[in-house]
Amino acid sequence: MDFIIGGAYQGKRDCAVQRYGLTEDDIYTCTESEGIRFGARCIDRLEEFTLWCVKNGTDPLEVFRENRAAWRGCVLICQDIFCGVVPMGADMRAWRECTGRLAAYLASEAETVTRVFCGLEERLK
Amino acid sequence: MTVFLSGGAKNGKTALAEDIAVKLSGGGRRYYVATMIPYDGEDRARIARHVAERAEKGFGTLELGRDIGSCTDLGGRDATYLVDSATALLLNEMYPDTFDREPDPMAAERCRSGLARLAREAENAVFVSDYLYSDAARYDDFTENYRRDLASIDRLLAGLCDVVIEMTAGIPVFRKGGLTL
Repeated sequence: MDFIIGGAYQGKRDCAVQRYGLTEDDIYTCTESEGIRFGARCIDRLEEFTLWCVKNGTDPLEVFRENRAAWRGCVLICQDIFCGVVPMGADMRAWRECTGRLAAYLASEAETVTRVFCGLEERLK
Repeated sequence: MTVFLSGGAKNGKTALAEDIAVKLSGGGRRYYVATMIPYDGEDRARIARHVAERAEKGFGTLELGRDIGSCTDLGGRDATYLVDSATALLLNEMYPDTFDREPDPMAAERCRSGLARLAREAENAVFVSDYLYSDAARYDDFTENYRRDLASIDRLLAGLCDVVIEMTAGIPVFRKGGLTL
């Protein structure tokens, strides 16, 4: 699994498309209303999936551990939402925390970790 | 040479950008392109203080809150420009007349083309922006569009510039190219 992380609008998806030769059809985009579906070569917007988890009382880390075989060969993309002020709302705090724990788990499982900053890639692992 | 600096607030971006501009310009003319448009006496007092501080470092000041591409018309191509910041420039371009109106949808495109022109024409240019992209918040459409547009400007500058620096805790981290500080 290859893990791509970075702030909003930094070019993470473009990086995945170029580096791994993906087309838009290869990418599944998580939403806060639908959650996640495994099976695509690339799963983008994991932070939308974790927001869905917060709203539905689900632990995203458990979902990923249980479905390990389904994403082991994938490219996974998550927004870095970890650098701001601690959010005022309980949901937003829970969102940040569970997204952070998921990102750390995925980074530890990944063969490569790439951070995208202003369209520039940096290999972290 | 062109240099792009970004990073979080109060990280020393402007101070480093000034040092880089001084170094790049050597004995040549250097301009601080002030993008802040003053709205009251407090703004004007702060600006006067900054102008005086920069004069000591040999900077002329171009007050240019919009139409950034015209820098070289005002100061010539054989000069060094420090643009601080893309963040303010975009906001100014979004509201060409008054804050009462809807933001101008062409603002980001005007910023991108103007900044690209400056990067192409000036002997040296140093650009400063702000990294607003890594917090856990859901913003209103206005703020979200602003973040998206600023990111498009940042990515353009990061692609165009010879050197890209991310400031972290006052420490410059080179993301592209390099220079001796």
